Amino acid sequence: MNDHIANSRREFMKKMGAASLAAAAVSLPTASFLSSCSTAPAIRSTADTVILLWMAGGMAHTETFDPKAYTPYTKGVESKRILSSFPKVPTAVDGLYFSEGLESIGSVMDKGAIIRSYKSADLGHILHTRHQYHWHTCYEPPQSVQAPHIGAWIAKELGPVNPVIPPFIAMGQRFTVGEGEELKAFHTAGFLGSEYGPFLIPDPSSGLESVRPPQGMSVKRFEARNQLYKELANKSEAMERGSDYQRESLMRSMEQSYRLLNSPESQVFDLTQEPKEKYDIYNTGRFGLGCLTAKRLAMNGARFVSVSTEYEPFLGWDTHENGHTRVVKMKELIDGPVAQLVKDLDESGHLDRTLIVLASEFSRDALLEGRPGEKVQDQVNQPDVIEDEKFYGMHRHFTDGSSILMWGGGIKKGLVYGKTADERPCSSIENTVVIDQIHQTIYHALGIHPETNYTIEGRPFYTTPDGQGKPVLELLA
Amino acid sequence: MEENAWSWIFQLLGRLHPVAVHFPIGLLIVALFLEALTLNGKRPDLREGINWMVYLGAASAALAAGLGWFLRTFDDYSGDLVQLHQNLGIATAVLSIIAAFLLQKTNAGKLSNFFAYRSLLVLSVISLTITGHLGASLTHGEDFLSSVLPENSNPYDDSRGVALLAQLNPLDSLSETELDDLNLEVRAIFAHNCYQCHSENKQKGELVLENKRGVFQGGKSGKVIVAGHPKDSELYRRISLSSNDDDVMPKKGKVLKKNEVALIKLWIEKGAHWSDRALKVFPEAALALSKPVLPASSEQVHPVDKLLHVYFEKNGITWPALVDDKTFIRRAYLDIVGLLPAPDAIIQFVDNQDANKRTQLVDRLLADNRNYTQHWLSFWNDLLRNDYSGTGFITGGRKQVTDWLYKSLLENKPYNGMVKELINPTPASEGFIKGIEWRGVVNASQRTEMQAAQNIGQSLLGVNVKCASCHNSFVSNLTLDQAYGFASIFADSVMELNRCDIPTGKMAQVSFLYPELGSVEADSLKERLLKLSEVIVKPENGRLYRTIANRIWQRLMGRGFIEPLDEMDKTPWDADLLDWLAADFIESGYDLKQLMRTIMTSKAYQLPTVSYEKLEQVKSARYVFNGPIVRRMSAEQFSDAVSQVIAPVYYAAAYNPSGDQLSSNRVWHRERKFDRDVLPEPGTRCFRYTFTLTDQEIINAQALISVDHSYSFYLNESKVAEGNDWRKASKLDLTKFLKSGENVIAIEGTNEGPIANPAGILFAMKIRQKDKAETTIQSAGGEGWKSTNVSPGKEWLSIAFDDSGWDNVRNYGSMQWDQLLAFTFEDNVPAYARASLVRQHPFLKALGRPSRETVATSRDDQATLLQSLELTNGAYFNQVLEEGASSWLQQYGSDGASIVDALYLKCLGRKPSNKEKDIMLSALGDTPDKEGLQDVFWATLLLPEFQFIY
Repeated sequence: MNDHIANSRREFMKKMGAASLAAAAVSLPTASFLSSCSTAPAIRSTADTVILLWMAGGMAHTETFDPKAYTPYTKGVESKRILSSFPKVPTAVDGLYFSEGLESIGSVMDKGAIIRSYKSADLGHILHTRHQYHWHTCYEPPQSVQAPHIGAWIAKELGPVNPVIPPFIAMGQRFTVGEGEELKAFHTAGFLGSEYGPFLIPDPSSGLESVRPPQGMSVKRFEARNQLYKELANKSEAMERGSDYQRESLMRSMEQSYRLLNSPESQVFDLTQEPKEKYDIYNTGRFGLGCLTAKRLAMNGARFVSVSTEYEPFLGWDTHENGHTRVVKMKELIDGPVAQLVKDLDESGHLDRTLIVLASEFSRDALLEGRPGEKVQDQVNQPDVIEDEKFYGMHRHFTDGSSILMWGGGIKKGLVYGKTADERPCSSIENTVVIDQIHQTIYHALGIHPETNYTIEGRPFYTTPDGQGKPVLELLA
Repeated sequence: MEENAWSWIFQLLGRLHPVAVHFPIGLLIVALFLEALTLNGKRPDLREGINWMVYLGAASAALAAGLGWFLRTFDDYSGDLVQLHQNLGIATAVLSIIAAFLLQKTNAGKLSNFFAYRSLLVLSVISLTITGHLGASLTHGEDFLSSVLPENSNPYDDSRGVALLAQLNPLDSLSETELDDLNLEVRAIFAHNCYQCHSENKQKGELVLENKRGVFQGGKSGKVIVAGHPKDSELYRRISLSSNDDDVMPKKGKVLKKNEVALIKLWIEKGAHWSDRALKVFPEAALALSKPVLPASSEQVHPVDKLLHVYFEKNGITWPALVDDKTFIRRAYLDIVGLLPAPDAIIQFVDNQDANKRTQLVDRLLADNRNYTQHWLSFWNDLLRNDYSGTGFITGGRKQVTDWLYKSLLENKPYNGMVKELINPTPASEGFIKGIEWRGVVNASQRTEMQAAQNIGQSLLGVNVKCASCHNSFVSNLTLDQAYGFASIFADSVMELNRCDIPTGKMAQVSFLYPELGSVEADSLKERLLKLSEVIVKPENGRLYRTIANRIWQRLMGRGFIEPLDEMDKTPWDADLLDWLAADFIESGYDLKQLMRTIMTSKAYQLPTVSYEKLEQVKSARYVFNGPIVRRMSAEQFSDAVSQVIAPVYYAAAYNPSGDQLSSNRVWHRERKFDRDVLPEPGTRCFRYTFTLTDQEIINAQALISVDHSYSFYLNESKVAEGNDWRKASKLDLTKFLKSGENVIAIEGTNEGPIANPAGILFAMKIRQKDKAETTIQSAGGEGWKSTNVSPGKEWLSIAFDDSGWDNVRNYGSMQWDQLLAFTFEDNVPAYARASLVRQHPFLKALGRPSRETVATSRDDQATLLQSLELTNGAYFNQVLEEGASSWLQQYGSDGASIVDALYLKCLGRKPSNKEKDIMLSALGDTPDKEGLQDVFWATLLLPEFQFIY
């Protein structure tokens, strides 16, 4: 038996304590009360934890993990000649090349797999957040019920690994940006109930604040306040009234938050505890620090953690101009931290049971908007001949092929899956993968049955539409 | 574990587990039974046999556990249920071994009696039983047992089938009607047993049993029906196999009942006739109201109570005593105006000797139009999917109905009028049927026309159109045709039917779900909407009024007559009372307040709340009413109560009903990155605005200012004000700082925080001069306002300073801040913004306010971890507590005792008990300080007694 599982199980038991175990036993029939999915043949899991590294805004595959012929910038170069604006560089896997600036990530590709044939849905006139919604929930908005985020499904099905670490943590995205409402619409547990919703940490460098007593409150005062609450609650005659389930859920949630806020585990959010050299490698910005936090969380029992490069319209990967220079910056942001995350988890042995996924809602291209044959309304003015360097790069939204990286949690090592054409359109031409398959592959690794569903408003709602998605088993060792 | 050549042996052993488990089950249970027979020293001759049973039982339990471990390890079982089953299985083995050991010791005389052994044996058997049950759940599915409970069984009533079989079996030839009946019964059997896998959407084995074409076309392996020959029909063969045959249908351990199989056989024998009549598989509520007559002879006075009396008698319930005045007034306040009663109001009410005082209170509260509206607005916003922010707005794909809704509630517009205006809308109310449109291509079942049909169905009629908008529903009788017919009313061109998002080539025929109410066909969209709006509100459409009556009852009593609230075809716990309420509502002129009054003045409303152990008991189909249910305050009620008692939770509203004219747009330094406007970075920015006044005498000048995050305000080089709370507006008297000729406003503003975030200045000034009309200066548009992010040196406060090199400010709008209620030159500003008027906010969201992306007709009142975290360490709530502590200290000084008394009276409507007072006072200490007070507030507000409505 795998030591790691045994270990985490033992820890889990210890922390849960007898009372919660009894509660867990009691809650079983309620689970079946909601779920219409009976216990079908179970899947043996290969991962306990998922880290999603989200490249928000549309990361061009030809500029990153799937380089094509390189055309350097010269004044007067034709747009149609630009397939890649970077030269390619070798990686740790023979014959696998990345784009310049991603050498560190390249150096850990012997520990993971690359999917080069992801095709996003065709949702017409591009709205980034709509594609992001689709990627994260597997459903195209709008929906007549609120679709849960993949992290919420996982939190619901598997619960926390470490009871004091919320099972679904989303880092790096603020909601005060443009399209903030659309972002909120998929950062949700939807009909599963807010209990499974994301624990949001927009700024990983201040993550600690969300898991410790309120600012300015000493631990002593925090404990005294909690004590006061309990005493008052116990002395109140009203405790005799009202339904047990309501009172219990209230008291239980108060107790849980007290334990979380007062637990030593909250120190995982304290990035100052990290050795300086390590910290510096990760500290490329909020995304990098998010990777560092994700590493610390994974080592201490997280279930689902997402780290976003943050979506803000026309910023980050959403390059509507200056594509080349901005991608240089984006690579600086991700290359070191992502590679270090993989290395650190590998060295500590946690990579065996941690599945890391790096993805984006779609790709970009210098010319094509949407996909070949289904061209949608242009949103970027790209001249045929480039006279100004700001037009050099990938400024249009391309949905017909992009890359996804995966490491750990049962994923094959050194695998290159699928491919895109070397000439424009650089579409997926082999082993095309769609979002349902990505979700099912993640669920499969976690041991979540592909037909998991709940009945909502009288009809079954599956993890992937109609329960049809199939995992890509070739990705798994 | 390494795979090796021997693993098949372990796998084989593992698969013996299901056999082996029966030994300990049999042995230990019988041993316990026999052991019971020997109690009190009787039947000593059984001892020897029991001994062997316990020894063998313990040994076999250990063996079964071991084999189970193999099964789990080598056969890929995992999951919580497996884990629990394994743990308990091991526990059973251990317990039974200990029992056997103790038995041996007892027999050997080392223990004085059988007590220890018997206890262990009992424990073993308990553990064994649970383990066994879990094991069975693993094998047969978790609903194996529960699915046969009356509550969970499907609604198909097989008595009809039995009767039909008895009627038709003896006949030689069947009439057309009889053949129709037979076919419909067979289709009902298909619907309840086969559609799950063999429908248009889930065609297992390529077989569809949902319609004629499918049934006669057959599946992958050919035809399934040979008319006249059951024995040659694959369908009949498969359903008549024995239940453990691999080929038997339906799968999953369910077999058809004998009479069901016989009916299908008979149907095939008689030629497999297919009726043209539509199959109504699911129970449907009558459209019209039943108009129950009030029982004449009853000791009850109120019509609701008269009917309820009959219900109580039928269910053997006696009327409990009514709640006391304190409980009643808190309920009534929270239900009608959503606020806590003030301590004075409670005392007055309790002291009032008028026998009619409760009715008077209800009337008085219902007459408080403003607060009634600001409370019930949340209910309607949820129901009509109306919100101040959310998806769709960004691309113009969504519209609010807030203004229309607010005014409708304020004037208590008759409900039929509201419905008419929602369906045949004015520009102010069109947001409801307009739906939410995302940019791009949308799934056919989510076209805005379909959304309109779905939302009207769900919100107003309690019928689920969502299922049927993709395919024929499996939860009601609605078909895809009907859903498209309904949606087509809202379409400006003919709609093509899509089944599961695939075009069918069939065009929709405009029709309303209930054609008996009247035709809605017309050439133009406008006419159709008009027709529908008139047809749907007809009193004959009892469904519309039953649905709203059920919702209002649920809000006031905690549980509807029918639940879920959106499934109005379900059976109410008292159909007469529900229909009477709906009919009375129509008679009252569709008066919503009157409906509430009718319910709230009944004794039913005044009954004490009933406790339940589990939520399922409340939601159960067998629920029996015997009093209201304890409810938890809604997010809005909680927030408003805190605003009332401690300190304002919100100062700004997304919708300001007072309709003030001052703009709420804020300006800040324009910040750009890669040629794009971006959120401002933290740091200090300087702003200037110069203006010229005539030389007329300045009579009066007032200004309002609010800056996110902090500012110093200078006028003509004098520092006039500073501040650091954008949620508040400072009112400044600037008369003496102004002069004729050139004036300059200079603001040094600082954006705080670790990363870029919204910042903005909101400023307005009104200057009155002699003989001259008012001059108003506002920052809102940004014209003439200059800014810089470079430190400008000392001189920048003066008029002479040259700011021509500075940038023009950017207008950042008002969305991040909304409308500060205090940002007005008028007096009588509300102290806080009611939560119903506030844009969705993390604090309210955590407390359960839904994001209104879809219709949300009920809220989850279970507490969650995210919620308690928000309340325990959320910076937002903490700030409110801190502010409250400061103001309370100012008001009460360090008088701990009166602080505690006031807090209890305001929050809980009662004085603290001596014990409670002691606890509070010792927490506050001798001289209460801000921190102590803050903590005492916190502990009180989180008490169940505060958060629940009893």
